[in-house]
Amino acid sequence: MGPDMANGAPTAPGLSFPRETFAKLTPGPFLHAHLKQQEPTRANGRSPEDFRKPTVNIGSLTHSNGSAVVRVGDTAIVCGVRAEILLASDIPHPPRDDVEDDDMIEELGLLVPNIELSTGCSPAHLPGNAPGTLAQSLSYRILSLLNASNLVSPSDLSIRYTKPQTEDGGPSEEAREVTKAYWTLYIDILCIALDGNTFDAAWAAVIAALQSTVLPKAWWDADREAILCSPLTAEAHRMQLSGLPIASTFAVFSTASPLKRLEEADSWVLADPDSFEEELCKENLTVVMGTKHAGNDGLLRLEKTGGSVIGKVAMQRCVRMAEDRWREWKGVLGGG
Amino acid sequence: MGPDISHHPLAGADGSATISSNLYSVLAAVNGPIEVQRRDELPEEAAIEVNIRPASGVGGPRERWLESVVTAVLRSVLLVHMHPRTLIQVTLQLTTGPTLKLKNATRDISVLPSLVNAAFLALVDGGLPLQSTVTAVLLAVSGEEVISIDPAEKELAGCKSVHALAYTQHGDLLLNESAGNFNLEVWEEVADRAEKACVAAVALASEDDEMANGTAEAAPWLRRELEEKARDAVAWRDHT
Repeated sequence: MGPDMANGAPTAPGLSFPRETFAKLTPGPFLHAHLKQQEPTRANGRSPEDFRKPTVNIGSLTHSNGSAVVRVGDTAIVCGVRAEILLASDIPHPPRDDVEDDDMIEELGLLVPNIELSTGCSPAHLPGNAPGTLAQSLSYRILSLLNASNLVSPSDLSIRYTKPQTEDGGPSEEAREVTKAYWTLYIDILCIALDGNTFDAAWAAVIAALQSTVLPKAWWDADREAILCSPLTAEAHRMQLSGLPIASTFAVFSTASPLKRLEEADSWVLADPDSFEEELCKENLTVVMGTKHAGNDGLLRLEKTGGSVIGKVAMQRCVRMAEDRWREWKGVLGGG
Repeated sequence: MGPDISHHPLAGADGSATISSNLYSVLAAVNGPIEVQRRDELPEEAAIEVNIRPASGVGGPRERWLESVVTAVLRSVLLVHMHPRTLIQVTLQLTTGPTLKLKNATRDISVLPSLVNAAFLALVDGGLPLQSTVTAVLLAVSGEEVISIDPAEKELAGCKSVHALAYTQHGDLLLNESAGNFNLEVWEEVADRAEKACVAAVALASEDDEMANGTAEAAPWLRRELEEKARDAVAWRDHT
């Protein structure tokens, strides 16, 4: 005899849990129940191939050289770029002359991204804590991608000076251009709300912030032996990025378990997972697609770990979806 | 062919192995299942902790990222549900690395196959229950779209893209890390070559096969190592 019978309440107890309770108690079967419908729909209402709509706001931080706020669904990222001058004479081990221009930025570490998740953006990351494994590896992946994609041109970051010809100089003494200093860009990424897929949103925020970065005109003053910057905004120049690399992440939800035959397992590839799905998915794939043009074949990075569902066939599908996503981002960010 | 391997070089660890390929040498140690800290404990499976120590200096964000990649691979290899509420601890110490100056992205990816192979051999040595056999390979694609398996340092320094892939003995792709400049067709070719090499590393060596393709990449080096290990393990029976 239930308690309802005892006090004679007319309402019969519900035979099923409300949605939220089901999701909390058994998240895996909850998502599975959604996906195994005739037309697979995720718990958040999206279809498996659906990405969330991105919105970008540029230049919201007034004191930085460039900034952007990117929102993808409930994930919101703020990115600010601060430029500082690094004197060539201050570099302890100047790179040898044979370093190619493209490698200069990586060699000198002129791009310094850092992602902060301990902002209270999600219960999984306590505010004020030291950066955990996730934050550190995200920072590293962003740094690695920044350097590998040659996004920022070294000429934008070097402050050149042409040595005047001396009067008594012999024929060998020619006007010579030297780099007196470099701009170092500190790229600070703050996650203010986290609902999955941090990497895609953080990377887009970095791109948007760099696109809006304006560096003041700087020159070497030979008399003062220092770098001077012009306060005039008319003289400042906007950085030109080469290409538009866009990251698209996929997660795989699978019912496979070691206790079950492999053929009996179902799996779904979910584009742009939110945090509820990330919790349940072990396998992840990130496709970074750049602008296709001569000498650039499109793919910059493919990262896949955690499972064996994505093979060659699924990879083709994911790369195609990443191409569509690239066009969507291009509409929002421009450039490329 | 295949890398140089030594089994159980460390007496204190439950399992250990060293592996030296043409690029890296890695010493791997495995302890487990051992007691787990309360906050890392998982109610239904064993927690996996991977520590990577570079050849010089202390680890930083780069090592944290490599650790997370290796952990994900090991989680799909180990039968973690057999030891719930425990910890499997894997320590990977790099002992030598390439001497040429490589781009960071290339360097990061080139180390992954050695790390995965070393960790796997140490898990085998430690007698941990595994659901599959995993082999990882490194491939480089040159500017002329020539794919080379286990590239030399020079090939790596001048390559257009670099790929680290790990396959199980059934040809399931467990890990893919690719960087550089490539397209899907190139990647598919790379994946085919890598799958062949990985499956061959654990394939039954029949004489026909060896006659047909006695190439270096088709050598069943991992199977040979594992069979030898299994023979050593039961050698006491022959003596009694």
